[in-house]
Amino acid sequence: MPEREPLSREAFLFLAQQVGLDPGDPHMEELFPYARSVVAGLAELDEIGVEGYEPDLAFRPAPEV
Amino acid sequence: MDGLELCFASAGELSRLIQNREVSPVEVIDAHLDRIEATEGVLNSFITLLPDEARAAARRAEGEIQGGNYRGPLHGIPVGLKDLFNTAGVRTTSGTRIFDDFIPAEDCTVAAKFRQAGAILLGKLNMHPFAYGPTGENADYGHMHNPWNPDLVTGGSSGGSGSAAAAGQCTITMGSDTGGSVRIPASLCGIVGFKPTYGLVSRHGLTALSWSLDHPGPMVRTVEDAALVLNTIAGKDPKDVATVDRPTGDYTAEFTGDLRGVRVGVPQEYFEGPIDPEVGRAVRVAIDLLEELGAVVVDVSLPMFKYAQVISGTILMAEAAQYHRELIAREGDKIYPPVRLRLEGGLFVGAADYLKAQQARSLFDLEARRLLEEVDLLAGPTEPVTAPRILAPQVQAGEETVGTTAALTHFTRPYNITGFPAVSAPCGFSRDGMPIGLQLAGRPYEDGMVLRAARAYEQATEWHRRRPPI
Repeated sequence: MPEREPLSREAFLFLAQQVGLDPGDPHMEELFPYARSVVAGLAELDEIGVEGYEPDLAFRPAPEV
Repeated sequence: MDGLELCFASAGELSRLIQNREVSPVEVIDAHLDRIEATEGVLNSFITLLPDEARAAARRAEGEIQGGNYRGPLHGIPVGLKDLFNTAGVRTTSGTRIFDDFIPAEDCTVAAKFRQAGAILLGKLNMHPFAYGPTGENADYGHMHNPWNPDLVTGGSSGGSGSAAAAGQCTITMGSDTGGSVRIPASLCGIVGFKPTYGLVSRHGLTALSWSLDHPGPMVRTVEDAALVLNTIAGKDPKDVATVDRPTGDYTAEFTGDLRGVRVGVPQEYFEGPIDPEVGRAVRVAIDLLEELGAVVVDVSLPMFKYAQVISGTILMAEAAQYHRELIAREGDKIYPPVRLRLEGGLFVGAADYLKAQQARSLFDLEARRLLEEVDLLAGPTEPVTAPRILAPQVQAGEETVGTTAALTHFTRPYNITGFPAVSAPCGFSRDGMPIGLQLAGRPYEDGMVLRAARAYEQATEWHRRRPPI
């Protein structure tokens, strides 16, 4: 898995618009470093080998052991 | 029994007195309303208090019981619900002023079951906004305060439920647990918090935080009360696709008083990370007591534990952001800023990462289930620390300084990932008088085994009898 690039400001503003936020809102200055830390934190998932495992299904009651 | 004794009596004790007509529900409710009046200025447990409605319900309950229509162990018992459980005709804010005027038309399934059982709703309890935080902060309705030291957090997100049960404001409270929000405040406030198996209790009518991680659960002062509540609220609900159709029975029937032959695994990862030595020692002593009660205690390992935060955090962020997406766009500026950031941050979790986290969840679940083929229960601390100061961004856990949110959810998240039943029960106090919790988890649908072990431990100790100084 190639190393992830940090979230750039341009990508952040593009994505913000895509998800329904206002890129011109001054609040974006506060959100940008937070979103950047969220995206950076997701890289830890790359350490987990999940080949052969299907995603767990939301709403499925737990089967018995 | 005087008023204060009524407030600290368990539901089990009160129900016997009420059934035998030694105490009236009217006396019980009046005592609790007095207790709330005396303590609420410090604790801020409630968002909405219902004194008139509760008194009227108590009079009705009294009449029913005098007429020979005793409904069962929760009849006439005072209950408080976290303010994300919809209640017909009673505002339900989810801990935010945005929903200050939201009055649901119908009860959530849990509230309806309490109502049918004759329990009396005292009010709606304060909470971390949208249940998105483990401390019990709330700028809109005021922060929650720990009954053992009001300068410290209750824990969250079900903070008002924790303080109300611990301080004798309610006999039974309910919380919801997505990353630990029942067990965290239970541990920090010195009460019993039980997260049932995912699918055992309906989520219908609760404001969701994360559909696949949310569990409603009781927060009470004794394990027997947790079982009595589970007897009332467990079961298949056609309105919640996650609920399962299976017999629920009487969970108190499994209380045998001993743990002979029960195999208890202690995941070593629970003691390897940052942990306050005082907490670690108290939990070790508690586990030793389980052994004295007949359990076979063995060390086990859960290597996937180190990924619990990223798996659970990724799923939670993505699901919470989607659930609240329209609200974020419409009224984001009205949301408590730290919660707003968390919600908005989830919008930047991509579909591939969300699904990778769900794949990793499958792997985590498989590893944990394999452990439960070797042992019946898993034991460890609920929290690595006792209650931090309100709004403290970091806590000291042994020699390490850790972010407060990460610390408080560190040991609880695994059982939201797996959906296993898990309980926090009081197991000691720090030198400065703050409660410490023991966490026990078991196999899916073996909620009775988890409660049986917690009950046996509780019966052998006196921690649950201590009262906060307030």
